[in-house]
Amino acid sequence: MVVCNLNCPSCPLAYICIPLAIGAAIAFKRYKGKLQKKRFVSQFGFLFISNTALIFGATGLIYTYFYCWESPFALMACPIGVIEHAFADRTWYLLPYLIGFIAFVSIIFGRAACGWACPIGFLQDVMKGRKVEKRKEIDKKLRMIKYLILIAIPVASYITRTLAYTDICPIGGLTATLPHLAIDPYGYTFTFFFYPKMINVVGFFILVAFITRGWCRHLCPVGAMMAQFNKVSVLQIKFYEERCIKCYRCAAVCPMQINMPYENKSGECIRCGKCIDACPKNALEFKFTWQ
Amino acid sequence: MKKVVYALVAAILLSAGAYIAYYQVESLNIARCLGCLAMEPKVEKFASFWVEYPDNYKQSGVPPHPQWIVDEAKEKVVMLFFWFEGCEACKRQWENMEKAEMVEGGEANGSFTNAFSYAKLITIDIVNSKDKDVLKIYHPKQIMEAPTTVILFEKNGTIYWYAFSGEANGKGGRPDINGLIDILEKAKEEKYGGV
Repeated sequence: MVVCNLNCPSCPLAYICIPLAIGAAIAFKRYKGKLQKKRFVSQFGFLFISNTALIFGATGLIYTYFYCWESPFALMACPIGVIEHAFADRTWYLLPYLIGFIAFVSIIFGRAACGWACPIGFLQDVMKGRKVEKRKEIDKKLRMIKYLILIAIPVASYITRTLAYTDICPIGGLTATLPHLAIDPYGYTFTFFFYPKMINVVGFFILVAFITRGWCRHLCPVGAMMAQFNKVSVLQIKFYEERCIKCYRCAAVCPMQINMPYENKSGECIRCGKCIDACPKNALEFKFTWQ
Repeated sequence: MKKVVYALVAAILLSAGAYIAYYQVESLNIARCLGCLAMEPKVEKFASFWVEYPDNYKQSGVPPHPQWIVDEAKEKVVMLFFWFEGCEACKRQWENMEKAEMVEGGEANGSFTNAFSYAKLITIDIVNSKDKDVLKIYHPKQIMEAPTTVILFEKNGTIYWYAFSGEANGKGGRPDINGLIDILEKAKEEKYGGV
């Protein structure tokens, strides 16, 4: 078992950890506002927890965000991988567990896992892509792609009886294939799907560099699964209209470019709380409400 | 009130689902699907059969071969094929072995064709089989990686073996299907030669 003893000069993985630690220190400065500092800690914590298989072993829990279970130290299972196995292997009994897991977390927190836990969301926040203004209708259509992907994944797995999406998954490439290569650069030969996977990883970086949270907005099938629960979730962003001075700072800072404060129940909201931090009149706040 | 009902329904679904599927998901999580990574490990190219673990293994000494495998290896040359549903590289290797008329039937209950009557094929599903942990004995990193192929036989009380992870496709030191057949033939020759 590899356990960090803080003795970096003698550690074969120091070349991965040290740049990550430096990156985290730089990224921390980008998180402005009380809630955002907390969110950084949460995101960093979940990145750590996601990779604790060395301590706890691989478990049967399911990530409520996108992270590859083939990652070297993955603690939990990828929700998309579970869907693919259910349809490719005809193991339908996996589905109630997955749906229950996603539904339970999403009914309580809405899509907050995207904003507060997802390591891919964390990466996008750190990269802080540009905010591209698109025509509303076009943007709305592009946001539908993630739902189409979510529908296509089980269909493709059922027809091909393979993990068809996994073959080209950029998140798998980023969080599993590349880390395995980083740990053992000369230890592998590549299969046919290595190259499409890497092209998609490059595509992912281009997307998120040009569009803030571009992956979450347009392509993430896990986000698509959770989005529908935002309207009924216990955690809501409450809008006090009487306090609002219509400065629209909330809309300006929203990484998902939602029409805040009016679309506070939108399925696109990742509950990051940037709007709450930006509001000078406290017209927005997180509230757990069972009503 | 509505939200309480939703949360309760989700909690019931989650609990029931966990009861049915937790261990299956855990096994899937433990199993490393090489096709999913789009990479396969380089292995030590076959030169001769091993008795003890070679240098690239974490373990050392003679492997603790399970008794039931030793018993099988006394009778015939044994090939263990570790696989699981959804593992594309496993599927490809199986299909190629079928094309080469090495095996027949599905991965779950397949066997060698008559041309390999000197050998016994044992397929082990690394997600569902009770014998799945046998893989750790023969894997260099002691992990559940599929596909993994092990060929072994017994002669004069000694178990000789060779193992590789990844598809038998001739890359990274692994044999292709013809190479695999050659290894089986070599095992046959060594087991029965000079008797």
